[in-house]
Amino acid sequence: MDWNKDKSILLSQVCVVIFATLLAAADIGAYWLVTWFMEVSRTLSGLKDGYLLIASLYSCSIFAWILLVNLWRLLGNIRRDKVFDPTSVKYLRITSWCCAGACFICFLSTIYYIPFILISVAAGFMALIVRIVKNVFEQAISMKVELDLTV
Amino acid sequence: MGIIVNIDVMMAKRKISAGELAERIGITPANLSILKNNKAKAIRFSTLSALCRELKCQPGDILEYREDNDSE
Repeated sequence: MDWNKDKSILLSQVCVVIFATLLAAADIGAYWLVTWFMEVSRTLSGLKDGYLLIASLYSCSIFAWILLVNLWRLLGNIRRDKVFDPTSVKYLRITSWCCAGACFICFLSTIYYIPFILISVAAGFMALIVRIVKNVFEQAISMKVELDLTV
Repeated sequence: MGIIVNIDVMMAKRKISAGELAERIGITPANLSILKNNKAKAIRFSTLSALCRELKCQPGDILEYREDNDSE
C-alpha cells in the first residue's frame, strides 16, 4: 500500500470528523443516552433523574468541541507545512486546557457517580501529555528561528 | 547590543553593492540583508571566510563587540 504523509493527515482529519459526528449525536441525543445509561447502570439507580449526568455531559461537550476544532486547525497547519509555527503551539495549549477542563468537570462529577474518576484521571493524564508536546514544540520553534537566522 | 556586524562599512570602503557581494559569497540577498541589519543569530565560518575574502579584510573588521546593557 502506498502510504504517505498526506494520506496520514487525511486519516487523522477523517477521525476528527468521526469524533465530531459522534459528539454531535451525543449532544442531540443526550437525554435518551442518559436515560438508557441509567436503565443499564445499577450504580445510578439511587438517583431520581439524570440531570446531573446531562449537565456533566454538556459541560464536557463544550471542551470537546473546542478541542476538536483545534485539532482540525492543527492538522491544517501540518498539511500546509506550517508545523513549527506559533499558532500550532497555541492550538496545543488550548487542547491541553480543554483536557484539563474535562478532567475538572469529571472530578466534580464523582460526587454523584464515582466511576467518573477514571475519565478524570485519563483526561488529566492526556492534558499533561499534550502540555509536554506543546513545550517540545515551543523549543523546536525557537531552534528553527535560530537556524533560519544563521547566515 | 552584543556582536555588531559592520558589513556596510566595509562594503562602502570596497565600493561593492549588496547584490554583487551576495552573489560573490554565494548567499541570497535576503540573508545578506539579515546580516547587515544585525538580525542574524549566528554566522557560519564558511560565510565569514567568503566575506573576508571578497571584502579583503579580517573578521575583526566586520564583527565588533559592544557592551550589552540589557543583560546587566
